[in-house]
Amino acid sequence: MTNSTEHFDTFLAISAWLTGYEPVELQGTGMVQTYYSTLRENITAIDLDAFFAESDFILAKAQTDVDAAKVRTASHLMQNSSFNSLGKQIILMWYIGQWFADPSGDPNNSVQINAQSYVEALMWPTADTHPPGAKEPGFGSWAVKPVSVDTFNVTL
Amino acid sequence: MTEKQYDVVVVGSGIAGAVLAKVLTQAGKEVLMLEAGLTAGMALKPEEDYENYQSYLQRFYETTIKATNTPYPEIKDAPSISVLEIQPQTPYETGYMVQLGPLPFGSDCLRAPGGTTLHWLGNVPRMLPNDFQMKTLYDQGVDWPICYDDLMRYYEMAENEIGVAGDVDSQQGPDMSRSNYGPDYVFPMDKIPQSYQDQVWIKSTNGLDVSLYGKTYTVNCISMPQGRNSTPNNDYRYADTVWDPASQSLNLITTDKNYEVVGATWNSYTGERCEGNASCVPICPVQAKYNALKTLKKADESKLDIITKAVASRVLIEPGGTDVAGIMYKAYTDPDSIEYTPHIAKGKIYVLACSAIENAKLLLASNVANSSDQVGRNLMDHLVLLTWGLLPEKGYPYRGPGCTTYIPTFRDGEFRKDFAAWISPIDNWGWSWPTFAPGSDVTNAVINNAMFGKDLRSHLNADVPRQTLLHFECEQAPCADNRITISEKYKDHLDNYRPVIEYDASDYMRKSFKAAKHVSDQIFAANNIEDHTIYSPTEADYVTWDGQGYTFRGAGHIVGTHRMGSSASESVVDKNQRTWDHQNLYLVGCGNMPTLGTSNPTLTMTAMTYQAAESILKQLESNN
Repeated sequence: MTNSTEHFDTFLAISAWLTGYEPVELQGTGMVQTYYSTLRENITAIDLDAFFAESDFILAKAQTDVDAAKVRTASHLMQNSSFNSLGKQIILMWYIGQWFADPSGDPNNSVQINAQSYVEALMWPTADTHPPGAKEPGFGSWAVKPVSVDTFNVTL
Repeated sequence: MTEKQYDVVVVGSGIAGAVLAKVLTQAGKEVLMLEAGLTAGMALKPEEDYENYQSYLQRFYETTIKATNTPYPEIKDAPSISVLEIQPQTPYETGYMVQLGPLPFGSDCLRAPGGTTLHWLGNVPRMLPNDFQMKTLYDQGVDWPICYDDLMRYYEMAENEIGVAGDVDSQQGPDMSRSNYGPDYVFPMDKIPQSYQDQVWIKSTNGLDVSLYGKTYTVNCISMPQGRNSTPNNDYRYADTVWDPASQSLNLITTDKNYEVVGATWNSYTGERCEGNASCVPICPVQAKYNALKTLKKADESKLDIITKAVASRVLIEPGGTDVAGIMYKAYTDPDSIEYTPHIAKGKIYVLACSAIENAKLLLASNVANSSDQVGRNLMDHLVLLTWGLLPEKGYPYRGPGCTTYIPTFRDGEFRKDFAAWISPIDNWGWSWPTFAPGSDVTNAVINNAMFGKDLRSHLNADVPRQTLLHFECEQAPCADNRITISEKYKDHLDNYRPVIEYDASDYMRKSFKAAKHVSDQIFAANNIEDHTIYSPTEADYVTWDGQGYTFRGAGHIVGTHRMGSSASESVVDKNQRTWDHQNLYLVGCGNMPTLGTSNPTLTMTAMTYQAAESILKQLESNN
């Protein structure tokens, strides 16, 4: 059985690789520990070990050959046959804040992880906005283009 | 429980009930209010009020599938309709409503303290003068027993109470100009700023000529008056609506002071401006959006008794007479238990203010006020045809209130003889309504297309901010067969009746969908909007006309089940909103509206409630 912090660094790194967000941005949501725990609650340790081993391999490859790492990700993490769609589950968890029990089978079978996972779902900043009902940008802000610091394509 | 005889018993604490409670108690009358929902929602102490409201917000965050009633408690003893229960195939009885069809009725309301104003959007355009004469002008539906001019002073009271932000001078369109408001009239607050997306739209839409059945219409885009807080208009001089015993009338009194913005019920310094939460439906976290609890808290507490967890179940008539003798209500302790204790509320005058659905149900259950056989009939809603697409540039939706600009061009015209008029709000919230975006964009990209990493992020960032959505909210004409009935077969947890609905969209409505889509196509073309609209035969409320299919959606504008009219044989209430059959029973709310017009109905209904309050006060004083 894995202990509670094993693979944590790999989880953060592969989350960044799969979501297109920098690790510091993911840490800024405050959700890394919650989502890591969600994985451990829903996926067996044996499957997690195998998934993170493949993740480590891809992340290492990405250091030297990004395109090859992308190809490997597509074939080994993003197939429905890959780890029961765990790669997709991780991306959906970050972007939507919900745990999809069976994304490639029944995409409607999802559960809100908690209130904060709604507020921190990445789909909102990705869409140049904020989650409805939280992080309100202030009176009249909607009358102009959204004000944001562009971190996309910036290497931190 | 209560043996006290009140001046007025009011059933329901939504905006109509709250306006009555405020006006009547401030005029010195003793009022008892019955509310079916939970006590916590009625909290008058700031701390409890705040805690309860935060529990609503938490429930909204935590719920997986978010809908209009999501933030509010579901209780078996006073069920609310859920739009999530709507199914394509009728008949079905799986939700609170029993849907006999042929089409499912697709709108909901909320049974809780504050009523549906907790989740309403807050758009408050007035009706047009011609809306009150549909039979005379267009040979459709019925005329109202009152005209626009009769309602004008009450519209001003409603706009004062709700706290309307808007720009009178920009309210220009068919049958609508400065003269609808009077020469010097202004709204209490300046308009809510129009969105960035609106400005993108306006560039190619304002002044656009579109053709429809050989006629040319010039489209214009104007700001939407809204019941949400903005900057006070320094020219606004009304303070409050006050009963004047000498003239036996309600009057808006003037003041030298500027309009005072009404913030959250728990703290007046919260919500003094709309903060751009972009979640007006289902919940404004700061209560910058008006809700009825704001009005209720202005009532004279010393004259008002409120009983919560009290579900009105029967209107009792004096034996051998026609006067109402009391309202039997079922008081529950545990909101999901079948146990209750029956009580009778007694007053001189009784008012049902518990929504078009519940009012009709209660009247039918009691077999009262129905000599016309009109109770429950003429159920109406705006049938909303949505069209959506991608703008050629980012409009940055999912920001600001749901609608800040609308197109009034097809609200009135000769075409109303042939097909329904509509109002076209430009929606600020992307494709969230028709496609559950942006979540569905994510699942589509990840699950179906196996996208990941920076490619996924840039794909979503390129597309979602270009999403745009236009509404065509078509005025449903009254039809006697669109109705609510009750049946012994269908009861709820407390042995009260569930609403049984029969509903359809007439040819008059279907023609308007075709016309609206034709107009949408021209507007989209002028804006280079890539049309992504899909109407699927498997959806609820999918209908066809002239070989094309259309899906309409409910607007939550539930209207017309106990209509007002000029004769006892054809209507349930008279022009004062008193039932023809019972001299001490009034009905208030959207159920009184004989036709719908193209306005969101709450403002007009609130104006009518002021008129009803005035009639009730006159009647009380004449009996003294």
